[in-house]
Amino acid sequence: MAKTSGSEQAVQATNDDATISKLSCVKKGYISDDFVQFFVRRPIKRSPIINRGYYARWAVMRQLLFQFLDADLPAFNGPPLQKQILSLGAGFDTSFFQLVKEGRIPHIFVEVDFSEVTRKKAMLIAAKELLLTKLGLEPKISIVEGEIISEHYRLLPADLRDLKDLDRVFLQATLDPKQPTLIIAECVLIYLEPHVSRAVVKWAADKFETAAFVIYEQIHPNDAFGQQMLRNLESRGCPLLGLHDTPTLESKEKRFTELGWQSAAALDMDSIYNQQVDPLDRRRIEQLEIFDEFEEWNIMQEHYCVAYGVKDKNGIFPKFGFNHREHSGSSQRSIVL
Amino acid sequence: MSDLDRQIEQLKRCEPLKESEVKALCLKAIEILVEESNVQRVDAPVTLCGDIHGQFYDLKELFRVGGDCPQTNYLFLGDFVDRGFYSVETFLLLLALKVRYPDRITLIRGNHESRQITQVYGFYDECLRKYGSVNVWRYCTDIFDYLSLSALIDNRIFSVHGGLSPSITTLDQIRTIDRKQEVPHDGAMCDLLWSDPEEIEGWGLSPRGAGYLFGGNVATTFNHQNKIETICRAHQLVMEGYKWMFNNQVVTVWSAPNYCYRCGNVAAILELDENLNKKFTVFEAAPQEARGVPSKKPAPDYFL
Repeated sequence: MAKTSGSEQAVQATNDDATISKLSCVKKGYISDDFVQFFVRRPIKRSPIINRGYYARWAVMRQLLFQFLDADLPAFNGPPLQKQILSLGAGFDTSFFQLVKEGRIPHIFVEVDFSEVTRKKAMLIAAKELLLTKLGLEPKISIVEGEIISEHYRLLPADLRDLKDLDRVFLQATLDPKQPTLIIAECVLIYLEPHVSRAVVKWAADKFETAAFVIYEQIHPNDAFGQQMLRNLESRGCPLLGLHDTPTLESKEKRFTELGWQSAAALDMDSIYNQQVDPLDRRRIEQLEIFDEFEEWNIMQEHYCVAYGVKDKNGIFPKFGFNHREHSGSSQRSIVL
Repeated sequence: MSDLDRQIEQLKRCEPLKESEVKALCLKAIEILVEESNVQRVDAPVTLCGDIHGQFYDLKELFRVGGDCPQTNYLFLGDFVDRGFYSVETFLLLLALKVRYPDRITLIRGNHESRQITQVYGFYDECLRKYGSVNVWRYCTDIFDYLSLSALIDNRIFSVHGGLSPSITTLDQIRTIDRKQEVPHDGAMCDLLWSDPEEIEGWGLSPRGAGYLFGGNVATTFNHQNKIETICRAHQLVMEGYKWMFNNQVVTVWSAPNYCYRCGNVAAILELDENLNKKFTVFEAAPQEARGVPSKKPAPDYFL
């Protein structure tokens, strides 16, 4: 293993930090989520720039998630597609519970994280009736193992640095290589050594015939803000080990296309906020708080991106991906092989 | 040593004053500030400083590179508080220096010297955390209402936190503003504290929701009308510490290095000699060891 347990703990702690920020967004009215409150012990009010940034991330990830759930075969002539979601380093993400509440349950929703995280998550879910009831009939819960298996939901421990662990998850979760699958990794691959994150990207491409792999993570380590970001996160004990390997949008795309994905696209969060997020909702959230940090906001958002790779054997994803409505060609790029 | 000198020494060690001391200091400060004009006259040589935002140890670094007050004459362009971890100590040190050396330091108001903004951006919470009540926040925000809105150096350099206002064409119009109030949501006083220069013609809407964007031709007209060479302002983070615009008619000075402990930028101060020759001194954030043992290592927020 490349990393010490100290840095594992620090990486796991990023989950608590992110969960607190999401709750801060919910409380201010940026995003709707009935369940994140159950995963935060001590709420902290975040500054407007952090609230807005988490909102932007939530908005674009949700857009892609819904596009995936809505995707279908061009002409229906067989059994319905059984959509699968595999969330790597899911932490205390509450998307599954929110989807159940909204009546949009995917066939299988798998969450994977370090066992320390999945144990805590299993414990918190088991203790909350409102969460338990979302799991469906007779879920199998093992707090000791950090595992939950229910009709549509699977919570499983794994170390992403060990592909055998991922293979075990694949079997245990009864994932079907032929069914359309959305793989999500938000601020996850960036903490891994480049050869490890590349192995994960390739593993997913090898496993699934029809899939989209969406990541949200940092870019641009080399300017003043990027260097400071590297230093700050290193001093927190969770260095961005993968950032120099994929420092640009282009390199994030290439990681997909070089490792088995048909096509890829990447956009920085500044462009995403301005071009991809629903303008009406953007106007709504911009009224929520006084906002006086524009220069910093732009710089910060330029240092995060969403990138995705797509494998589309059956042509179900023509509408998956970034909108093309406003792009001027300068910041939007797409590689299609 | 007088009480005030002792308080200054204490504040220089980043130790806040007692609530009763803050109250007394603020009462003395009001007596001085109430006499100042909305366009406070300042004589060169003077050193201009932009936003500080509670970054106390970086303010000490500023004094290290710029010289101590009163040996150096200072003009601070506002935004003393919010965002950083030491807004209380930062503002009180500057205020104590103002009371001690009223002719050697000028403080003008920034858009963060406001009751509303400080409740969002940290100063309110910091006062509550450090004093267990909001009394100190009340004393300080009452002082904010007395701070001048701008300064005029040797009749040739106009200094303001944000920028120009479409409701103002002459300095005399600024002089007539009744400034003793919370920063309004619009109008001349608001614009002076909120506006930004931008590469446009004329006026534009500001994305900040307060103040305006003003173009180069607006600056030209204003400077010509008021026989001013340069508008010196702060308000916007510039990664290089300072930035000239509009053919040297407007300059932005930014004095919070590694802003929010996150941005990685350098800071600058603008030193004007007696002939108004300009020299920018760029400086970096105070090294960790200068921040003292008890100070926690800043842990800025990211999206994780």
